[in-house]
Amino acid sequence: MTPRWVDRLHLPTLAVVIALLGVWALVSAKYGAYVLPSPALVARGLVDVVVTGEVWKHTGASLARILVGFGGAVVVALLLALAAFVSRTARGVVHDVVAVLNATSVFVWIVVSIIWFGLSNWAPIFTTFMITLPVVASNLVEGVESVDRRLLEMGDVYRLGGRAKFTAIVVPSTLPYLIAGMKVGFGLALKVSVVAEIFGVTTGIGYIMNYSREILATQMVFVWALVMILVMMATDRIVFDPLSRRMSAWR
Amino acid sequence: MAVKLVVDGVGKDFLIPVIDHVSFTVDAGDFFCLLGPNGCGKTTLLRIIGGIEPATRGRVTLDGEAIVAHQPHERKVGVVFQEDRLLPWKTIRDNVALVLRPLRLAPGERTARVARYLDLVGLRGFEDYYPARVSGGMRQRAVIARALAIEPDVLLMDEPFGALDAQNRRIMQREIRRIWRETGRTIVFVTHSIEESVEVGTTLVMLSARPSRIRALIRNDDPGQRVKLVDDLDTMIMEEVERQQGASDGRT
Repeated sequence: MTPRWVDRLHLPTLAVVIALLGVWALVSAKYGAYVLPSPALVARGLVDVVVTGEVWKHTGASLARILVGFGGAVVVALLLALAAFVSRTARGVVHDVVAVLNATSVFVWIVVSIIWFGLSNWAPIFTTFMITLPVVASNLVEGVESVDRRLLEMGDVYRLGGRAKFTAIVVPSTLPYLIAGMKVGFGLALKVSVVAEIFGVTTGIGYIMNYSREILATQMVFVWALVMILVMMATDRIVFDPLSRRMSAWR
Repeated sequence: MAVKLVVDGVGKDFLIPVIDHVSFTVDAGDFFCLLGPNGCGKTTLLRIIGGIEPATRGRVTLDGEAIVAHQPHERKVGVVFQEDRLLPWKTIRDNVALVLRPLRLAPGERTARVARYLDLVGLRGFEDYYPARVSGGMRQRAVIARALAIEPDVLLMDEPFGALDAQNRRIMQREIRRIWRETGRTIVFVTHSIEESVEVGTTLVMLSARPSRIRALIRNDDPGQRVKLVDDLDTMIMEEVERQQGASDGRT
């Protein structure tokens, strides 16, 4: 009885991982644990943070901020997409706003949010919001624009009202774009919020990584990087993949 | 027989005149076929009749009521488009039920009607399938059930079997003829296939090349004359095609 994950292992990938671990161990032995801690040291650190429960404290803090910032971005993006669907003028405005936001660097929002919100939770939340908003919004607007006009015409022929057309035609055809946008947006949120956490807060993966660097515990920098990667892959597997699978049941 | 549909001097310009001037009447219960060379505006004419697209001139009345694009009217028009236009995320049953929503039927009546018309087109047992899971012929049956379920005053069909293979086409032609007989609906059917029109229609109208007018209006009620009718219509359509090519050659 081989468990399912064993079947899913890709042997060539496994070989590459083992080779990389070997190289990693060699380089680590040559340059010392401050520059590159050995794989064993990192593994021990990972076990430690899980055993002490520290991993939940910081991951939880990061996720809570992401939930607020990214959740807010999704809500606002939905409103923008709705406006873009109802009015052509609004669609043009949303397009331009999204283009400008997309062109704005993360660093701008980090600096601005520190000025506006001080050293508080709201700095990473606001940064996450501003960075993920254009990603989710542009996906949603694209979804709204891609609604099959022939289906809407069919709706007109059979005199479906605006609401029926919206719920039966527009929403289902936009949903895949929303999920795709949320998937990319969430990944971005995780990457961005930890950067913002370097400043001003005393919890979160970003904070603890920077702190580990300051106290010269390089292996913990690697441990937390690993935690971040695992969180990202887990949300994809647990949240987004089943969602998109459920949505394409009719394909 | 009672007149159902009146098309009176209808024309349409897209920069150049596409439909010049077309007038005819369709009797209640007729199976009316619009024929013509490619690009003569058959589909456009059907869309004007359905109130989907505005006419440049002329008027259309259904049971005496004017049908004008984008304006509400009391008549019910069922349309079968060239593509199926089923919602891929809804089952066949829900696709049919959707168009009954504006009719505000009692819930029981609504369910019964969906079942009745899916039965009529031979889709019993496939109600819970998504469109992508059934064949093109079955999707077309579902579309016909959807159009009939509103119990339309007129059923408009725009090359409904164009995307089917030859065998399915033959089957569906026989099926639509049966469905027409069983429901007694008035059908306006656009096709470019002469054989198809002679197979299914009771009245055939041949449109001329662009800008189109009526070239011939023929009753198709003598099965013994079908072979000759196909020949005559073939000759006619080739003349129109040549005329159209001649016209465009002259222009270039």
